[in-house]
Amino acid sequence: MTREESSKVTRRSTRFSSSSVTVENPEPNPSHHPPTVSDLTFGEESITLDALLSNFPGRRSQILDLVRLIGPLDSPALPVIAYGDASTGKTSVVLQVFRHLNRPFVYSSCRTCCTPRILFESILNQLLLHRKCSSNGYASAKRCDKPSDFVNLLREALSNVVETLKSTKLERKSSMGKMVYLVVDHVDLIKDWDKGAMILQFLFGLYSVLKMPQLGIVLISGLSPDVYYSNVGYTDPLPVYFPEYSEEELRQIFLKNQVNKKLYSAFLDVVLRPLCRVTRRVEELSTTFSSLFRKYCEPLDDLAISPNEDLKRRLYSNLKPHITSCLNEIFRVSSRPHDGDTRGERRQKASYSCEKGEQLEMLDFHMSTSAKYLLIAAFLASRNPATLDASMFDSTGGMDNRKRKRKASEKSMEKKEMAEQEAVMKGPGSFPLERLLAIFQCIASVGDSSFGDDAEEEGEEEATGYDKESNNMMSDILLQVSSLCDANFIIKSGSCPLEGSIRYRSMVSEDLSLKVARSLSFPLSKYLYRR
Amino acid sequence: MGKENPAEKALNLIRGRLCDPTFVFRPLSGSSDSNYSKLKFIVSTSITEGCNNSILLLGPRGSGKAAVLDLVVGDLMEEYPDSVTLIRLNGLLHSEDNCAFKEIARQLCMEHHLLFSKMASFDENSQFIIAMLRECGLAHKTIIFVLDEFDMFAQGKQRLLYSLLDAMQSVTSQAVVVGISSRLDADQLLEKRVRSRFSHRKILFLPPSREEIDSLLEHLLSLPADSSFPSGYVSQFNEKIKSITSDTRFKDMLKTFLNANSTVNSFLKFIFRAVSSMNLESGLLSLENFKTALSSMQRQPKLEAVRDCSILELYLLVCMRRLEVKEQNSYNFISVMKEYKTIHDSFQTSDYYAQNVCLRAFEHLREREVICYAENRGQSQAGEYRPMKLLISASELHQGMRSHACCPAILLKLLDH
Repeated sequence: MTREESSKVTRRSTRFSSSSVTVENPEPNPSHHPPTVSDLTFGEESITLDALLSNFPGRRSQILDLVRLIGPLDSPALPVIAYGDASTGKTSVVLQVFRHLNRPFVYSSCRTCCTPRILFESILNQLLLHRKCSSNGYASAKRCDKPSDFVNLLREALSNVVETLKSTKLERKSSMGKMVYLVVDHVDLIKDWDKGAMILQFLFGLYSVLKMPQLGIVLISGLSPDVYYSNVGYTDPLPVYFPEYSEEELRQIFLKNQVNKKLYSAFLDVVLRPLCRVTRRVEELSTTFSSLFRKYCEPLDDLAISPNEDLKRRLYSNLKPHITSCLNEIFRVSSRPHDGDTRGERRQKASYSCEKGEQLEMLDFHMSTSAKYLLIAAFLASRNPATLDASMFDSTGGMDNRKRKRKASEKSMEKKEMAEQEAVMKGPGSFPLERLLAIFQCIASVGDSSFGDDAEEEGEEEATGYDKESNNMMSDILLQVSSLCDANFIIKSGSCPLEGSIRYRSMVSEDLSLKVARSLSFPLSKYLYRR
Repeated sequence: MGKENPAEKALNLIRGRLCDPTFVFRPLSGSSDSNYSKLKFIVSTSITEGCNNSILLLGPRGSGKAAVLDLVVGDLMEEYPDSVTLIRLNGLLHSEDNCAFKEIARQLCMEHHLLFSKMASFDENSQFIIAMLRECGLAHKTIIFVLDEFDMFAQGKQRLLYSLLDAMQSVTSQAVVVGISSRLDADQLLEKRVRSRFSHRKILFLPPSREEIDSLLEHLLSLPADSSFPSGYVSQFNEKIKSITSDTRFKDMLKTFLNANSTVNSFLKFIFRAVSSMNLESGLLSLENFKTALSSMQRQPKLEAVRDCSILELYLLVCMRRLEVKEQNSYNFISVMKEYKTIHDSFQTSDYYAQNVCLRAFEHLREREVICYAENRGQSQAGEYRPMKLLISASELHQGMRSHACCPAILLKLLDH
């Protein structure tokens, strides 16, 4: 395992370990250890402020701010919102601050609790020290899906917890205080929930609704507080802003937990600056760095070596081509699935882009020839206007259409520009299946002269006849079409209201289809209609 | 626990005061023409004379409407211990009629030690409430209904408001309905049949005056001269507070803050922030505390978002801005990429990345809500082709890029032309 990963694990594991302590305690024999209030604290050794500060380079002012706002033992606190971009350490800092303070808290993330009901029940379960297990059928302690019920139950549960906290304080001198803190993570996700605006308003107003000074609220949000303003308004919590890490802070983060700091620092000298220009997210950088560092170390036998200037230079020249290619490659982490509807599509595209990056030279997509032809046909059908099909694929009259080009006047140039802009906005055009098959037939016959001459005709019956004839090339075109659809090269768009049939759309870029055409030695550019 | 640092104790005391609205609003309610006295007069007459009443408390969020009402209700509960029942509803929670009736029934049952049935239907609950109203009227007990976020109850069919106000038309009942809303036009939202049953009494909550703020500051921050603190510390602390509040720099700060947010609550938050950063070693507040509090309260989220962008993301933003300047009415990722390429072709910048890397940066911008899709329809279309728009203005972009740590000079030039 590479070092960045190990550093990453320590940074990220906080979230997991805390939730495993508070939500479902994975102790082997729960009957021996009935849950107590002290389970609501972080559960591990508390850490000193100095250790906390050194664990998070570049987050000094945020940590101090949080500690001060949460305040000394038993002092009431106003709600706080910690906000900042993704992977700036919001969650880990907040949780580790509670570890440092050793106070009871409840952590629920709106990422895992994806509906109001799950969120409310998860908070209540933790407060009621309820553990889901097989004996209770993995049921929650209380069933609650309305904010109104939640407030009543929460008030009850809180006063219970506060009571027990008071009594435990009497019997043993533990310094847990009598405050309970509620940490809600990923508040920004609520915006996309059904009736999310209402839930958000409720969450922001929870402090004033409850009127319990024993409850401290910390919200964690990926978006700045101003996006939550609605026309009804709310009293906003105290903001604590987590800015993106600077280059120097990133260096410190990546140098943490490294075995050979000198070597890694030399590596960072080379790669950090160019990659920082693209993104400054720790998680994305760390995945890229892990593969790059492996390449960097390839020529070395001894990884414990401390490099001198000469070696550094040689290593750099060795790595240089990889950096440039790396810059133009998409990072291999799947993007944060923020938007539900485009998520699957995007992931597929991302993986497909990776593949493309790797195989630019060979360009063998492990695709049958017929699938390649289908891909080109779909591309043509999306790009060319349907009215021009006849002239394009008619062997006699097709090409000379384009040859008589006139000198364009000023006005027509302008028009052309407008049309071009419009085309960019519209994206690739859609086409019915019949047209795809027809074009496919034409180009397959042009590309491969061994096919029968009769294949130039269009029409569906011909297509089936053609199927029978040329079974050396494919088993079933329609199957190929559907598998191309699954691979997201072609997408199904809405059906045409007049015809009622499903229309398709090609998602392949021009470069890619040109490359595919080249691999088949098919003259694609001859068939492309240029405006 | 016994041996506590006096500074920490003072901090706890002041934080406790700031989080306790009744403490904050107590001194503001002293004078005879304060909202407190008006409200108390209205409610107490309806208790003593056994009549029905309805009032609206209007004012911006955080101006202390609910706190003053709590004060009044608390005092009246002490004065007339057996004849006041308080029912609290919140528009955020109980705007749905069914839910609201259930909650009223629940609170009435709690108050009168009756058994509450969760399974009771809407009709049963409403009949129970009307019966309770009559019973309480006969026993000369007043029910005070507090409807927080009153405007939320005015959505939909307003059945709750109608049945409450209608029941109050009868002679036997004895109830007060107090609505709290931050919408000044809350009574205009009412239906005709509800409005005609409503008394149209309104109490307006205004932001505090300078004198009130000054007295509030002293009330909140000065330590009591009793035995709980070392006496030397108390006088030192109070002396320091006095010197800070009389400082002109502090007055200027307070003025800039109050110009932006003038409600009591935002003022409390400002003080809370300053107090929480108090130095525990010296145990005294300083002007510096207030200065940092002011700067952390006055955030400019859009500028922060621009400052968080990487260079590539800035390029994309500049490209979008340039397309807007060119009066291209709508643009999508593909047209932004075109612009990006022309910039690269004409200036030979070092930051030219492949399309999929740019798409990733584009997604980051969208997650951060610096840009968004211009319209919601066309979701079937792939993200690259959906029209986009910028969510920040040109000046914000400009300012943000100027304060960006490593923004290339060429980008600023490109933004201007």
